[in-house]
Amino acid sequence: MLAASFYVVVAFTAIAVLLGWVYFRNYQLARPSIGVLNLGDVAFMICVIILIPYLYLALPLWLVAAIFATAMLSILYLVAEPLLRARWANWLVALSLIGADLWTNLYFGATSTTFFLVNNTVLVLAVVGVTSLWAQSGMKARDVAVLGGVLALYDLIATSLLPLMIDLITRLASIPFAPVVSWGVGPERFVIGIGDLLLATVFPLAMRKAFGRSAGIAATAINLGAIAATMAFLQLAKLEVAVPLMTGLGPLMVVQYAYWVRRRGPERTTWEYLRAEPLDRRRTASG
Amino acid sequence: MFKTAVAQLRFAASVGLGSPFAQWSLDHLIDAITETRREFGAIDVEDGGSQLGGPVFDEETRRELHLRRFRTQAVRAAQETSYYAHLFERLALEPDRLRFEDIARLPTTPKEALREDPGAFVRRTMMPCFGTTTTGTTNKPTSVYFSAYEMRTYIALSAIGNLSTNRIDESDIVQLSTSSRATLGNTCFAGACARIGALVHLAGLVEPLRTLALLAEERSIPGKKPKVSFMTTYASYLGELVECGLQHAYGPDDFGLERIAVGGELVSEGLKERARQLFGLVEVYDDYGMTEIWPFQGQSCSEGHLHFDPTSGMLEVIDPETGTPARSGQAGTLVATPLPPYREVTILLRYDTQDVARQIDGPLTCNLRNLQATSPLLGKLRLATRHESGWTFARDVLEALEGAEEVPLPARYGFWAVPGGVAVEVVARRSAEPRVRRAIETRLGEQGVPVRELNLVEHRGELRRPVPLRCDLKETAFGVPDDSGGGVSRLTLEEAAGREDL
Repeated sequence: MLAASFYVVVAFTAIAVLLGWVYFRNYQLARPSIGVLNLGDVAFMICVIILIPYLYLALPLWLVAAIFATAMLSILYLVAEPLLRARWANWLVALSLIGADLWTNLYFGATSTTFFLVNNTVLVLAVVGVTSLWAQSGMKARDVAVLGGVLALYDLIATSLLPLMIDLITRLASIPFAPVVSWGVGPERFVIGIGDLLLATVFPLAMRKAFGRSAGIAATAINLGAIAATMAFLQLAKLEVAVPLMTGLGPLMVVQYAYWVRRRGPERTTWEYLRAEPLDRRRTASG
Repeated sequence: MFKTAVAQLRFAASVGLGSPFAQWSLDHLIDAITETRREFGAIDVEDGGSQLGGPVFDEETRRELHLRRFRTQAVRAAQETSYYAHLFERLALEPDRLRFEDIARLPTTPKEALREDPGAFVRRTMMPCFGTTTTGTTNKPTSVYFSAYEMRTYIALSAIGNLSTNRIDESDIVQLSTSSRATLGNTCFAGACARIGALVHLAGLVEPLRTLALLAEERSIPGKKPKVSFMTTYASYLGELVECGLQHAYGPDDFGLERIAVGGELVSEGLKERARQLFGLVEVYDDYGMTEIWPFQGQSCSEGHLHFDPTSGMLEVIDPETGTPARSGQAGTLVATPLPPYREVTILLRYDTQDVARQIDGPLTCNLRNLQATSPLLGKLRLATRHESGWTFARDVLEALEGAEEVPLPARYGFWAVPGGVAVEVVARRSAEPRVRRAIETRLGEQGVPVRELNLVEHRGELRRPVPLRCDLKETAFGVPDDSGGGVSRLTLEEAAGREDL
């Protein structure tokens, strides 16, 4: 019998991935007009991913929370921009969400259902915005696959071989804007990190851009299926361990990329993708 | 993208602070723009332009920026060039203590001074490695010297400019139909094209039929467009091409031209219109550039103004009669000071270009409204005519003449003051017909030219005071193509050169 927390966390994960898909197709974020997200940026991201846990472990918690708040505020503003357009409305929404996260954490506590609900919502919205921005900034499926492949190894080391991720999640779980989608307490608590969520969401977008709708849908199904299956297995087997999700997702991404390249040839540029599958301009920020 | 952001910041630091450009940042920006174009198809011109065009300044900030950079350039000039050392000494001015009001009191640098002794403007501590001369169409050529840093920077900036405004990309075939002696413009532009990855060739100013054949030639170069897609040339030579092409039954289907950059001379609306009869719906850019003040340039906007980037130079429009700044709507000569970090070897402070334009004050509504603007160029001051009812400039006459189908392109003409107005002479078809005379008189009147005498002639040799044209800087070529080269007449070069209609 699977606990309710399993369903809730899987549901939030699915919402992030599916909402990311819908948002990517319907809203155009304000990307930098010069520059494409490329392998160099992926290398930079990997360096940041490796170094930043140590920084978060070293800095005072209030400062980490402040950094998260600033980052979330700018991301939420970015997400709201093509939806609301009016600057004051964007700020209102972004500040309200930030305020709600902060208030529920301080008032109800970091393990309260209210905080989980708000924090998970904020995280999902942030993931939707960041992944759409990456994909709309020209990030290639190849680059996501490379990132996934490297993170597969990194996650294995940082989560299973070292206590790094456990220490990090334990330390950050109590602060506002905790970078995990979580639900439940004690042995029924389920958690998925924002990094896993970002990769699970951006890969289908990059695959859709690169190879078309079928590749994107397949990536969505595989990612969600793999995450749900892993979590279900953990609960059914009654294992209370931290699982390096990327160690499973990363190779799946590499395999999918290799399959679609073999089947469809070189991936499409954004320009080719939009020519083949135009967006509805009325629903984009730039339109 | 992260490195691009850093490169943009480095670029902005040079533009904003006046420190030398870092070659790596320019190179990276070129690569980033190329990659962006490949991924997204095109750059958002307004957005991309604003990101690379530096910050937008209000009037006060612009004055502060200009004063700071002018002082820097003046200190260099006074300490390291013989011309300005003597000037500042004579005026007893301390260049590092100049106030903005003092700048206008500094005498303008006349073209003659540079022409007579170009070495007097070169900084002693610099290493000039590239010397260029003007083509000397309007007088004896003038020499200007540049460093390796300057040349590398100009090439990179030109590449960035052409890429970010979507003018040239790697699929283009670019033809330079300019004088091969125009080494600065040719080197920078060809270098920029090569850096972008476009295929560039210098065709030179050869017989128009030869050029038309090159433009019409089908090429099968992998990754490139099938025909020349971008041409840079002079207005008068474009006029020759149009005239010759239409005479030889060329039409839009014969060419693959998409864009033409026309410079070095006034570009009339009539010329643009008639060029489209030959080449189809081509975009025509008529920006303003000059060897002496390079790379400070005027960019033509959607409403026909000339806009100047305040970070690369300081522009003044000076009333030629009073020597004071021209008021809004008033004509004056463009006095330009190229500023650091764009110029470091040949220093020119308040260089009087003798090019005339009208002062424009805002608010403007065009796509470049944030940049200082003047009217389109009106022509060289020495060609302008003062008469009882004001000034008549070359543009007034040229717009009228090239708008008239009776006048073959390029308009070959002259004009001068006579009692009560101006006398105009021009080569026209069927010049003896009263209808032709009436048509030209009407057009001149519409342009506000107070014509008192109009002399229509059949051949350019009959003109008494012809305005010089760059198309006359012809070079010889190997030959004129025969029938197999695109349907043009079988002529030897000598035959072609002997025919005035070519």
